Amino acid sequence: MSLWILGLMVAFFAFVSFRWKWPIGIGLAASALLGGLLGGTPLWAGEGRGLLRHLVEGAFVYIDPMLIMASAIFFMKCIEDSGLLSALNLRILRHLGRSPFWLSILLAAFVAFPGLLTGLTTASVLTTGAIASVPLIKLGMDRRRVGAFIAIAAIIGMVAPPINLPVMIIGGGVDMPYIGFTLPLLLLCIPTLVLSSLWLAYPSLRGVDVTPVLAELDDGPWQRHGVKLLLPLLVVLALMSGPRLFPGVWPSIGLPLTFVLGSVVALVSGDRVRLLRAARGATHQALPVMAILVGVGCFIQVMTLGGMRGELVIACLQLPDWLLFAGITVSMPLFGAVSAFGSASVLGVPFLLALLGRPEIWVGAGLSMMASLGDLMPPTALSGIFAAQVVGEPNYLKVLRHCLLPAALLAAWALVVILFAEPLSGFFAGLFGGV
Amino acid sequence: MKRFHPWILLALSLLICALTARDFLLQHRPDAIVAGPGVTEQRRLSEWMPELEGTRGDTEVYLLAGADTTGGDVLVLGGTHPNEPAAFLAAVLLVENLQVSHGRLWVIPQANHSAFSQTEPQEAHPQFFHLPDREGGERRFRMGSRLSNPLDQWPDPEITVHHPSGQSLSGNETRNLNRCFPGRREGTHTERVAWAIRHLVDSEDIKLLIDIHEASIEYPVVNAVVAHEHASDIAGMAVFNLAMEGLDYNLEPSPKNLHGLSHRELGDHCAPLYATLLETANVIQGRLRGKTSEAVLLSGDDPCYHDAGEIGMNRVHYPEEGIPFRQRVWRHIAACRELIGSYSMMHPEAPLYISGFPEGTVLLEEGCGPYLMPVP
Repeated sequence: MSLWILGLMVAFFAFVSFRWKWPIGIGLAASALLGGLLGGTPLWAGEGRGLLRHLVEGAFVYIDPMLIMASAIFFMKCIEDSGLLSALNLRILRHLGRSPFWLSILLAAFVAFPGLLTGLTTASVLTTGAIASVPLIKLGMDRRRVGAFIAIAAIIGMVAPPINLPVMIIGGGVDMPYIGFTLPLLLLCIPTLVLSSLWLAYPSLRGVDVTPVLAELDDGPWQRHGVKLLLPLLVVLALMSGPRLFPGVWPSIGLPLTFVLGSVVALVSGDRVRLLRAARGATHQALPVMAILVGVGCFIQVMTLGGMRGELVIACLQLPDWLLFAGITVSMPLFGAVSAFGSASVLGVPFLLALLGRPEIWVGAGLSMMASLGDLMPPTALSGIFAAQVVGEPNYLKVLRHCLLPAALLAAWALVVILFAEPLSGFFAGLFGGV
Repeated sequence: MKRFHPWILLALSLLICALTARDFLLQHRPDAIVAGPGVTEQRRLSEWMPELEGTRGDTEVYLLAGADTTGGDVLVLGGTHPNEPAAFLAAVLLVENLQVSHGRLWVIPQANHSAFSQTEPQEAHPQFFHLPDREGGERRFRMGSRLSNPLDQWPDPEITVHHPSGQSLSGNETRNLNRCFPGRREGTHTERVAWAIRHLVDSEDIKLLIDIHEASIEYPVVNAVVAHEHASDIAGMAVFNLAMEGLDYNLEPSPKNLHGLSHRELGDHCAPLYATLLETANVIQGRLRGKTSEAVLLSGDDPCYHDAGEIGMNRVHYPEEGIPFRQRVWRHIAACRELIGSYSMMHPEAPLYISGFPEGTVLLEEGCGPYLMPVP
């Protein structure tokens, strides 16, 4: 059993990160190095048998998400400079500011929207999340609570149809096609979106007088540029949704290029964008998170190399039946500390196999929500970290604290769907003639 | 952060890059596959699709033709997923040992050649495995990835939309050859490879396709012959004969609603092709595996899978000694032999007669060595 090595790796990471204040990314990479050496792998050996090859290989696993987040943050800086952000804030407040109930729900749906199309929380948090955060803060909502509002809406966007990557990953592991998931995913997402947005936003927005806030906001950019100001956002939304709406006709150019093109349009659509400052600001913001992802990649590679990953999965599956569901509820979001997609792949597939016999589509949908909650789990906590950055909160754990209750609601609802997959499937099959 | 001076970190990173670059570059070197006495022609996949020439998608196609070529044509694919090493090695053994007297046998041991040039991040697989040859030397083979190298196809879309069915899959499946059939001439790198294979099947009038794979022990379709509905009789007869030999195989129908797989798409688009796929149980692919190393790859013995067996997660019997590489290679060879035999029996007007199949007793006792030729 090599789980003791994992224990030492975690302890070492906690020590250097909290005691010695090492950056999280470096702490993770260093603990991976330690774990690999303790597992008996030499630092360097021919034909790629050394630990260094594994650390480098593991570090590359998140290269695509890293490019997405860097380009998305750059895009946000550009539309902030161009004046688009302030124009959108004003219009949101003008139209919805006097109805806190609808403002809460519709803003949450707005934040979730890019997640529906891309299956990524970062796409939501860094685009529509950043747009929605300003009016909420202007209305007097606590910025940490706003961060939680964005982070939770982004998680729901990640789970919602039409694109749910964790369920595709789980399905891919058992050759289950991505067909028939729309209804279960909607059932998972709509009630949780309504309840969590009302819980987080409504109490702070109720009774707020929006008039002085509106008077404060500058509508200059809109007066100067008009509808042209919206072009960067429209370009990004079109490039994101085109491949889904016209598959096979409209090629996917990837999210990094999508955001870069949106940024280029922002250069000519509004006020002057200070390009170098925007790029430096974006890099400064993205770099610590990129370092975490590199460290996590090294960590999980060493876990796999040393057998800790498999032993951990076996330990979860060895739980007695009545504890299995508790194990799912705890281990899948926890494994998200490594990666939500990793959780779907490493734990989601074996859990689905362990639950074969229940309606797989419903169980898979529920498991995907459990895995997606991993995007709130430190140290990666992509949704939480970026939401904290968007609202200007330096300590993302303070944002995550506000996420606890809604996240528990999401987990509980996902568990209900898994536990009652059979009657739910039967009920909706009767209602709609099969899902 | 001040503890870590940026220049020191940069210097350290460059040092690590320099040390490890050699390892990664080594994996770009082609494997040595020796053309056996039965090989009559050595061709390239780009002959069926010139656009592949000069790319990493181009791969060796070995033709073993009998003196009488009026018989049937059979195509064997190995290395569709290069992280399934027994599938690749079984195809190599066919190339190095078989002799055809009637009909033509086509073998592509490295169907997704690009995917041999990388291992998959987070899987911690060894880059190479080593086997003795028949003269006591050593042969080195690459352990690749399930997916084409991003150097050949990047970036992945968030969602893969399969052509022509429109089925959605997760983004990285766009680089999975066995989700890209029937392929597209103007498509991605991997779709072009799939299209070239399909074109070979069409233009050479292939009658039977055997796509060799491996799967993890917890995967629902394992130790199986998967057959398109056209091929169910041939596959059923082969499974029966294998059972008589003591090799238990499940006969699995090719799912009609899961697109992109060779047996489904080539069976549909290249009718009357008999399209089949083989699976053996390989621990090193599994999510439940313990320590990952070349030794586990070859021994197939992993304590975690014994634990998994106790909680009912294994789909096949997992014996005390594990499921060694040599046994998996033998199962594939035997299944190929029986599928070809069943085809020949059902089509006496165009049979394929082959000799020189590696013997089960030798493989199981001595491993693959006696059947691997030394590299000249």
